[in-house]
Amino acid sequence: MKCDKFIEALGQRVKILEVTRQYEDQVTALVELNDLPEAVRFLYYDMGGYLSTMIPNDERSINKHYALYYALSMEGGKMFEGDEIAQDEKCFVTVKVLISPESLVFPSVTPLVPACVWYEREAYDMFGLIAEGLPDKRRLVLSDDWPDNLFPLRKDAMDYRYRPDMKEHYMEPEYDFLRPEGSGMIDVPLGPLHITADEPGHFRLYCDGDTIIDADYRLFYQHRGMEKLAENRMNYDQMGYLAERVCGICGYAHAIACIEAAEKAINLEIPARAQAIRIVCSEIERLHSHLLNIGLACEVTGNYNAFMHIFRIREYSMKLAELVTGGRKTYGNVVMGGLRRDMTGHEIKESLRILHIIETQVEEVWDAVMDDQRQMKRWKGVGILDKQVARDFSPVGPNIRGSGIKRDTRYDHPYDFFKQVKFDVAVVEGGDVFAREMVRYMELKSSVSIIRQCFELMPQTAIIVDPKFHVKPENYSLAYVEAPRGENVHWIMQGSAQKVYRWRCRAATYNNWPSLRFQFRGNTIADAALIVCSLDPCYSCTERVTVVDVRSKKSKILTHNDLKAFSQTLKNSPMKDLK
Amino acid sequence: MMKLLDISKKYGEITHKYPFEPYKVAENFRGKPAYIYDLCIGCAACGVACPSNAITVQLNENKSKLIWEFDCGRCIFCGRCDEVCPTGAIKLSEEFELAVKFDKSAMIQRGELEVQCCSECGKPFSAKRLVKYSLECLSKANLGEKRLEEAKSYVNVCPTCKKTATVANFTAGKEMVIE
Ligand code: SF4
Ligand code: SF4
Repeated sequence: MKCDKFIEALGQRVKILEVTRQYEDQVTALVELNDLPEAVRFLYYDMGGYLSTMIPNDERSINKHYALYYALSMEGGKMFEGDEIAQDEKCFVTVKVLISPESLVFPSVTPLVPACVWYEREAYDMFGLIAEGLPDKRRLVLSDDWPDNLFPLRKDAMDYRYRPDMKEHYMEPEYDFLRPEGSGMIDVPLGPLHITADEPGHFRLYCDGDTIIDADYRLFYQHRGMEKLAENRMNYDQMGYLAERVCGICGYAHAIACIEAAEKAINLEIPARAQAIRIVCSEIERLHSHLLNIGLACEVTGNYNAFMHIFRIREYSMKLAELVTGGRKTYGNVVMGGLRRDMTGHEIKESLRILHIIETQVEEVWDAVMDDQRQMKRWKGVGILDKQVARDFSPVGPNIRGSGIKRDTRYDHPYDFFKQVKFDVAVVEGGDVFAREMVRYMELKSSVSIIRQCFELMPQTAIIVDPKFHVKPENYSLAYVEAPRGENVHWIMQGSAQKVYRWRCRAATYNNWPSLRFQFRGNTIADAALIVCSLDPCYSCTERVTVVDVRSKKSKILTHNDLKAFSQTLKNSPMKDLK
Repeated sequence: MMKLLDISKKYGEITHKYPFEPYKVAENFRGKPAYIYDLCIGCAACGVACPSNAITVQLNENKSKLIWEFDCGRCIFCGRCDEVCPTGAIKLSEEFELAVKFDKSAMIQRGELEVQCCSECGKPFSAKRLVKYSLECLSKANLGEKRLEEAKSYVNVCPTCKKTATVANFTAGKEMVIE
C-alpha cells in the first residue's frame, strides 16, 4: 500500500506508537512527544517531504489530550533532476503527538524544519500550546490586545459570538518587530493596508538608503474566526458556502477542498462528471486569478496600458464563470456527494468560444509585455526566492515553481479528474518576479487546455451521488486542491450529528508568507510592493507608509499615493529628505 | 509599447456603457431571489434549506400571522431556496443591482400568511394555504373516498394534538386501520 515505505523508514528512526490510515494515500503515525522534531525532520529532509499543514486540536473530550498533526506531503525534495519520489508512491504522512493538558508544552520543530514556524506560533494563539525552543514566540493570529488567557479554539474557551473588550489604542501593547542589528538603518513600515488591493497587512522594512536589509510583517488584522464559526454548528451543506468565502479570489478552491475533506473522511467517491466540472470551474478561477495578478504586476510598475488590456481579457473569464455557474465570483455549486449544477451542451459550446478568445488575446498581450524592455527591467532579478529557502519553508504555487521546484498538487497528488487529464507543470528557473509571472502565463495556457480536455472526456453520468451517507465521528482526513496561489489544504475531523468537530483550513498564501522576508532582502523599497504582489497574496494595499530614520529619529508618513507613485515612476524618492 | 497600441487599435473601445445601458447577464444567472407571495404556502422549506439564514418563517408575536421574511443583506445567492420550494414561489432572478441608500430595511421583504388554528386545541400551528395545499395533494394521490374524508379532519389538527390523540387511542386499545 501507498505510504507503508515511509512508515517503515520512520519506524527505524523513532518509536511509532500507532499507525492509522485515513485514505488510500493518507496515513497518520502517532509518536512520542520527544521524538516529534526528529520524526518531522526525518520525513521532511531525509525522505523528501514538504510541510502541507499542521493542525492543533483539542481532543480532551476524546482522549483527554491536545493533539498536533504535522501533515507532510511526500513528493521528493525536487532540488535537482531525479530528486523526486515515484509518481505512484507520493502520499501524505501525518505525524501525530498527544500533549497533556497539564503541561501544554511540546518540543518545537522549527529549529530543524523552518517551515513550521507559523503553525507553531498559531498553536499558541489558538490553543495555548507552547512550543519549547521556538525562536519566535510572538503572537501571530490574534490581535495584540487579546486577553492573555483566552485561547479561542479550545472547546471550552468561549462562544463563537464572544468579543473580548478592546483596549484603548494607547493602551494597546506594541508589537515587537524583529529588527536587524546595526546603525544607519531606516525603518519603513508598509501598511496597515497593503499596496495592490485593499487588505490589511503591516510590513516593516529596514533599509539602508533605498535598499531593504530585512523585513518583518504583521498580518491577520482581519482574522474572521471561520474555523470557530463552523465547529459544532454548521452542517456540511453550509460549510461549502462558508469555505467559498475564505478568499475573495480563489474561494472555489477552498469550497472543493473543504467538501472533499469531508468526503474523503467517509471514503465517498463522487461521479466522474461532477469531478470534471469541479475541475472546469477551478480552472476558470485560475484563469481570472492569474490574469488579475499579471495585470497588477504591470500596474504596480506603472504599466497601465498593459494592465488595462489584461483586465479587458479577464472580463471574458468572469463572463465564462457566469455562464457556467451563474455567478461571476462565487460559484456555489459544490455539495457533499457531487455538484448541484450540470453543464448543458449549449454552455459547453459557448465556453469553448470564450476560451478561444482568451487564449489568443492572452498570447497577443503577453507578447507585447515581453517586448517592453522597461517592464522586463522592473521584473527581472527582483525579489528572488532562493531555491534552498524555498526548500526550507515549503512555499506553494507559482511562488515555488518560479524557483525551479516542480511542486504542483495537481501533478503530485492528482485529485478528481486530474487523473485523466494531461498537462505540463509550469516550472521556471530564476526565482524572480519575472519567473513567477512567467509561470502564471504558462498556467493560463495549460488551464485552457485542461478545460478543453475535461469537456472532451467528461462522461454522461449523474452529477451527484445519493447523499445517504453517514458521517463517522472522530474520522478525519486531508483534502488538497491546487488553487491559483498554490495548494490549499483542508483538514476535517468529523463530529456527531453531521457536524464538524474541527476544521483546519490552510490557505495557499499562509505557506508563502514566512519566506517573503528573504525575498525582500537586497531589493529597493520601490520594488517592495511589486515583490509582495508577485507572491499573489490575497491582495492588499499599503495605505500609508511611515519612514523612520533610526539615527536621527526623524520620521515621515507617506500616503498610499506617495509610495505608489514612487513605485510606478521611480522618481522623488521618499527617503531623500530623511538622509 | 507599440505592440500594445496596435492591440488597442485592433479591439477598439470596449468599455460598457453601464449604468447608462442595461447590462445583460448570462442565462441562469444567480441573482436576487424573487418572491411571489400568491404562490407561497408557508411551508418553510426554504427557511430550512437556506444556509445563511436569509429566510425565516415564523409566527408573529401575537401568533395571528405566519411571517415569511427574506433579508437580502444575508443572502448569498446560492439558490437552495429555489431548489426546494414546492410551488415555485421563490426563484432566483436576474436582478443584481441591490444597493440601498442608507435604509437597510429596504433589503427586507416580508409576506404575511393566514394561520391555521388547530381544530382541537385552537392554537395556531401552520399556514392556511399549506393545509389547503396538503389537501389538494392528497386528493390527487389516488386515495380511497373514506381515507380522504378522514384526512380532511386530521389535516386541521396540530402535531401535538395528533400525538396526544394517537397515544389516547392506543391506550384505549382502539386500532387505527389504514386502508
Ligand atoms: S439564494 Fe440561498 S442564501 Fe439566498 S435566500 Fe435562497 S437559500 Fe438563502
Ligand atoms: S412555498 Fe416556497 S417560498 Fe413559501 S415557504 Fe414554502 S418553500 Fe418558502
